[in-house]
Amino acid sequence: MIFMSRLRLSVYFVCFSLFFALTSCAFAVEGEEAYVAIDRAESKLVSAYMAVFKAEEAGANVSDLWNELNSCVQVLSKVHVLYRVGNFDEAVYFANLCYDSVAGMREEANRLEDLAASNRRQKFLLTSLVSSFSMVCIVFGGILGWRFFKRQYCRQVLKSKPEVVQ
Amino acid sequence: MNLREYQTVFTVTIGVLSLVATFPTASMIVPFPLGKDRFSELWLLGPEHMAESYPFNIRVGEAQGPVYVGARNHMGYSQYYMIYVKFRNQTQPLPNATASQPSPLPPLYEYQFFLLDGEEWEKPLMFAIQNAQFNDRSVFIRDISINDAPFSVNCYSTLDSDNVGFYYQLFFELWLYDASSQGFRYHNRFVGIWLNVTG
Repeated sequence: MIFMSRLRLSVYFVCFSLFFALTSCAFAVEGEEAYVAIDRAESKLVSAYMAVFKAEEAGANVSDLWNELNSCVQVLSKVHVLYRVGNFDEAVYFANLCYDSVAGMREEANRLEDLAASNRRQKFLLTSLVSSFSMVCIVFGGILGWRFFKRQYCRQVLKSKPEVVQ
Repeated sequence: MNLREYQTVFTVTIGVLSLVATFPTASMIVPFPLGKDRFSELWLLGPEHMAESYPFNIRVGEAQGPVYVGARNHMGYSQYYMIYVKFRNQTQPLPNATASQPSPLPPLYEYQFFLLDGEEWEKPLMFAIQNAQFNDRSVFIRDISINDAPFSVNCYSTLDSDNVGFYYQLFFELWLYDASSQGFRYHNRFVGIWLNVTG
């Protein structure tokens, strides 16, 4: 009888231990999963940010992308807070949402950067052409102007009569 | 004026006009410095959106605020910012302004945002002390909530006999994304408010 009750107690103990071990393991996986999802979303967001920043430096109009990035980064802040308070389910959900929102933004930023670079090249070409043409006009105009002025000056000097000083 | 002097005037005029004509092209090759100070602003305003009437005497369970935390970018280009909200007692360390080091305390709440040059950002923040244990000469705060998110702080404070109260500080650190280190770094700016937990 005593043996049976001890055996039953042991079985209960083993079941109880197994239950705790498994549930704690499940929570650990959930936390780890949330961490991985946040890290993935963060990396994606940072790479999009760097691309948008480069596009802006190249002179592209990226105001729409900045607005999109700001919406995503607000979600990411929320994700960090949810992770800190232990709400891993929602943290994973919002991290994935952030990841999906950012997807494609880097490519769009790169496209805008290329477009801005091409516009810049065209603008530079046009500006340098106008500058060169203006410079040529100024130099030749100046030389011609000088020659005309010099001829008029000499004619005026030759026409003038010497002043007789008594 | 004789002819030689006229020639000098002509030469100088042509030279100056040529420089003016090449300026647009030169400005596209050589970047001219903007010549302005680069910095970021961080501020904390009270419930009336003024630098006054900040929450001070705090009762447990009562929602406080809103206080408004804001930042403005004067760095000359777009920036990726983060603000950490931290909580401490009188003995725990603040950020070190001389060494440009943040407080080693763990952050509770955080904000992240992007700002274009000259742009500003501002958000309201509500907080409440949720669970505190009072003794004669000490208080132990277990939990506080920030914007309805609960945080465990487990922060102990003894009676400040000079100012008669149990003092804590809620403070905000400004961090900036650094592309070279591929992470956030402390931007050496923080603001905070003192709280006297009364019961």
